Amino acid sequence: MEFAVEAFEIEKTFVKKRSLHDLLRHPFSRAERVRALRGVDLHVRTGEIFGLLGPNGAGKTTLLKIFSCLVLPDRGRALVGGEDVEHEGKVKPKIGLVHTDERSFYWRLSGRENLEFFARLYDVPRRRTRARIDELLARVDMVEPADRRFADYSSGMKQRVAIARALLHDPPILLMDEPTRSLDPSAAMALRTFIRDELKGRAGKTILLATHNLREAESLCDRVAILAKGKVRQIGTVEEVRRWGVDERRFRLEVAAWPAGLAGPFRVVLEEPLDGIRRVTVALEGDARLDDLLRRLLDAGAVVHACDRVEPDLEDAFSRILESEEGKEEA
Amino acid sequence: MIRSLDKIFAFLKRDFQSEVSYRVAFLLQLGGMLFSVAAFYFVSKMMDPKTVGLDGMKPFPWMLVGLAFQYYFSTALYSFSSKIRSEQMLGTLEAMLVSPTPTSIVIFSEAAWDFAYGAIRVAVYLLVATLIFKVELHTNSLGTLAIGVLLTLLSSAGLGILSASFILYFKRGDPINFFLSALTTFFGNVFFPSALLPGWIQGVSKVLPITWSLEVVRGSLLLGKGFTELQGEIFYLALLTVILLPLGLYFSKIAIRKARKDGSLVQY
Repeated sequence: MEFAVEAFEIEKTFVKKRSLHDLLRHPFSRAERVRALRGVDLHVRTGEIFGLLGPNGAGKTTLLKIFSCLVLPDRGRALVGGEDVEHEGKVKPKIGLVHTDERSFYWRLSGRENLEFFARLYDVPRRRTRARIDELLARVDMVEPADRRFADYSSGMKQRVAIARALLHDPPILLMDEPTRSLDPSAAMALRTFIRDELKGRAGKTILLATHNLREAESLCDRVAILAKGKVRQIGTVEEVRRWGVDERRFRLEVAAWPAGLAGPFRVVLEEPLDGIRRVTVALEGDARLDDLLRRLLDAGAVVHACDRVEPDLEDAFSRILESEEGKEEA
Repeated sequence: MIRSLDKIFAFLKRDFQSEVSYRVAFLLQLGGMLFSVAAFYFVSKMMDPKTVGLDGMKPFPWMLVGLAFQYYFSTALYSFSSKIRSEQMLGTLEAMLVSPTPTSIVIFSEAAWDFAYGAIRVAVYLLVATLIFKVELHTNSLGTLAIGVLLTLLSSAGLGILSASFILYFKRGDPINFFLSALTTFFGNVFFPSALLPGWIQGVSKVLPITWSLEVVRGSLLLGKGFTELQGEIFYLALLTVILLPLGLYFSKIAIRKARKDGSLVQY
């Protein structure tokens, strides 16, 4: 199957709950409606890590809830493992949801007792339960603390148990909602390595990951979609999205001195001192070539120590995309 | 079927593990039961054994059975909805509903511990009544009693699921629970015989499962009546069960679908 998760023109509007006070004061006024998703169309390839990026309220979690069969779309279709989310009985065995919420466990039970309970719900055969839980605890490095109360775990440990739970029934698709949100930097890095090497690399899972951490998306995702106000604004590889709207290439040059009055199809973006020499960031515009710039520099008598390409930042691209779309909407 | 039972057992085990982690509260609850039985013993002393509707039974055991089974019915009414609410608040409901277990089984199993605990409570009441207050219980028609208890369980579950569906659908539950609870307590032959009520209103008790449930349980346990003598009451109880249980399950499906549609399934 080429695509593991697909959305076709999904629309979702929520009606805001009205307080009793509001109902009494304005009994005939309509409740406020929030359009959470507006014509969302995306196709996640089997075996890839796909990132859903967007600011808070962009619709990432709603989309994950639709793929988890917790919410039904108003319009459009959502397919998971080739099955429509309308048929939850066929979809749920194929997915594992990793919650960001530590509260999704029973804190007075141990990690192992929690997993034993969820193993029943995930239809893990009783005779295989113990071995499966032992295997997963080993994979997430939680063997030793497994019999301690869940309440006593650190955030990182809780998140590892959450991953073990999502893997209980060995689903081919994992849906992750900001999996590193409550983790410290080293725990977050360890988890990212686990997701990339173990879950994608070794187990070959398809992972749909919602995050607003752009560094995380950069280090993990094969492709990303940028969502804002319920719409997909951009979709592509991290590289493609990073370069979106950039019609210049940037290079960082280390030179003994920057020749005064040097002109051409480029502009100096940043010039800073570095250990007795100068580090200069230059943007080449349009079809301008790097060898042309270097030739001009050498002709002007400059000594070039180093030259690196400066890749566009995903964070900048994210801002550009959001600004451009907001501009369009305002227009 | 076996898989569903296995899941219900998992819920039972989870709640037992959680309950015994609060050991003192667990023991205090059992101790509290002793006092409520004693209170009913002395209250019943004020009742005239010749009161209409007691049908030759002594007031204390009559009230005791009423008290024990009324607890069962109120458990049914409140348990499904309160458990779902508490799972929503805890944040665990979403984790359960994303599993391949059908939502209806999750809702049904949530109340398993409360029902089991209710059964323990009934047993403790009867044990205390027998050992301390020397109540005489008949054990010659345990089969009939078992049928009565099973039908009580299923009919009350039907009512409870209906009430939980109401909450899922409208996001308001307490009024309906309060109304049904008051109705069963007042008209259901629980603390006083419905024969004492004015004639024109007595008919209400006939449509309540608890009325028939108590007729069967009291008849078998306190008078030693067998299946043939209680078949009329068992028939009415079974009839109410086959109406209420499928109705509850049907409405729960509608409510769950609506909650999935408006995105409120896991919202508190």
